[in-house]
Amino acid sequence: MTAAAAAAAAAAAMELAVAKSINPIAKFGRSTPKAGCGAMRPLLRARASAATAEAAPPARGKGKKEIKETLLTPRFYTTDFEEMEQLFNKEINQSLNQSEFDALLNEFKTDYNQTHFVRSSEFKEAADKIQGPLRQIFVEFLERSCTAEFSGFLLYKELGRRLKKTNPVVAEIFSLMSRDEARHAGFLNKGLSDFNFALDLGFLTKARKYTFFKPKFIFYATYLSEKIGYWRYITIYRHLKENPKYQLYPIFKYFENWCQDENRHGDFFSALLKAQPQFLNDWKAKLWSRFFCLSVYVTMYLNDCQRTAFYEGIGLNTKEFDMHVIIETNRTTARIFPAVLDVENPEFKRKLERMVEINKKLIAVGESDENSVVKNLKRIPLAAALASELLAAYLMPPVESGSVDFAEFEPQLVY
Amino acid sequence: MIATRTLSVQSFTGFVPPGPGAVSSLFPGIAPHSRLVDLRLPTISKGIYKLGVLNAKHSSTPPRAVAIDSNELGFSQSADEVKPMKYHFLVANAKFMLDEEEHFKELLFERLRNYGERNKEQDFWLVIEPKFLDQFTNITNRLRRPAVALVSTNDRWITFSGHYPKADFEAITGWQRWGRSFSIMFMKLRLDRVLAGSYEAGTVEEALASSNVDLQFEKPEKWAAPYPKYEFGWWEPFLPPLSSKSQA
Repeated sequence: MTAAAAAAAAAAAMELAVAKSINPIAKFGRSTPKAGCGAMRPLLRARASAATAEAAPPARGKGKKEIKETLLTPRFYTTDFEEMEQLFNKEINQSLNQSEFDALLNEFKTDYNQTHFVRSSEFKEAADKIQGPLRQIFVEFLERSCTAEFSGFLLYKELGRRLKKTNPVVAEIFSLMSRDEARHAGFLNKGLSDFNFALDLGFLTKARKYTFFKPKFIFYATYLSEKIGYWRYITIYRHLKENPKYQLYPIFKYFENWCQDENRHGDFFSALLKAQPQFLNDWKAKLWSRFFCLSVYVTMYLNDCQRTAFYEGIGLNTKEFDMHVIIETNRTTARIFPAVLDVENPEFKRKLERMVEINKKLIAVGESDENSVVKNLKRIPLAAALASELLAAYLMPPVESGSVDFAEFEPQLVY
Repeated sequence: MIATRTLSVQSFTGFVPPGPGAVSSLFPGIAPHSRLVDLRLPTISKGIYKLGVLNAKHSSTPPRAVAIDSNELGFSQSADEVKPMKYHFLVANAKFMLDEEEHFKELLFERLRNYGERNKEQDFWLVIEPKFLDQFTNITNRLRRPAVALVSTNDRWITFSGHYPKADFEAITGWQRWGRSFSIMFMKLRLDRVLAGSYEAGTVEEALASSNVDLQFEKPEKWAAPYPKYEFGWWEPFLPPLSSKSQA
């Protein structure tokens, strides 16, 4: 989906993996927006928690329902803009392959989806037919997707603004990507209106907590999130094309063209990484690459396994869908990251399965009626078990990879 | 008339052998294109059939010197001569291009849709077992066959090179020129595991000539996707319009 979706994932898993405290794990609880009543969608009100330690933004309006912000909720991102400026300053970094960026700029200027996001009357009719528990799940899907796209918009917009002087081409690409994300977010928000909800994006901008990532982590995380977004969207699109009876809501018909934007955004981060080979060519880069892959894949898997009703509702087997997306994203990522995970090894899937089981128990503890001291005590062994599964998955023998532009790994490559 | 054929293969032969040089080329401060081979080999623009003659004639000439000669000739060509067209290509084995990389299909159809919406004439093709590859032994010896090339041309490139003083022109590597050319470079970024180059040809038929081969792809051992593969033959709209004639 966007920068935010997987970057959020990464952040979430990072906090998990580091296991600084057991509190963040407590926040793994499913966010259960008890939607309904046709009232305006509650605006996100983040609850202060150990995970989101900053002051909670003020609640807005009375009587509006609040949504629990969990570790797995899409996040908003900010970065060190001065370091970004340094990285893309042509005077400092004369090796920037400007021509690759020129080629990308050309692609983004072409604006393939300029006229793509036009709604039809089908939307409202389809939404009205979605009733029962599935309706709530659809709303949640739209809301999370919209937040994720919007998060990408905010980050790219700011980068476009901040890099204007030091590198106008890179800056313009960021601005054009924010154009895409705004379009996507807007389209999803209109989808929410079919269900009588709306996200107040202006309010979100001010109210949400922003997570800070250093530029290099922004590159890894957003690359992965764009590529995994592509694979999610195209898989849903192609599945529904084959099985039209599950085509419950017309938004999925837009996914084929839509996700080409995501894929291109990923290519841009690929070019950014190539322009900063120090992020690709040493052992630290390999460790970070594996770490971000693991964070993003695990977060998606745990997230989706809590929402199987959505995927089953559109005729997909959640776990098979996720494994397909993980394997394909990993193959794509191997074109640029210096190391990726051996996700095709059956042991990787077994580890994911165990994490799902532990996570279920964590959720059950969170939902129990016991007092918080007892809950926390019960969480300790579960959190430790989850951390050890994560660590074991991280330490599985990796797959050496990378762009052939840097390929030392396969000297006899035949094309 | 002699024109240049530029070969820019991004390959391992372009790397400095392992050692301090190889490492430093990965760091900022060294231009990325310093990793590229940029050979300029002689060819003939108005007919590949003359190639053998020319290669024999210039076999002892250092390629770079020939390139400068040919540019001089190129810039002074008379108006009644057919202007050779520059073609840029990416190539890999057919299975990779047509069977495995399904996003490649999506990109091509997206581009075709865009050209249709904006009334733009198609300037990119897929060429199965292209004949022009015969000129590129350093590509063919690391290429599985049958091969498929994405070939593209655009006028903007011609304008661009014409505006450059010759000295500057020589200093610019193939990559940088491709940056100006439509999307070959973008496609290289996306596909990664492909070889790239460019050549000149007088006519489209000649540029896109291909050999007749039967493509067959084995079914993947395990297909875990919740959808079927794109249909065999999806690439037909991208084959050159005259391909049946040139294959004859």
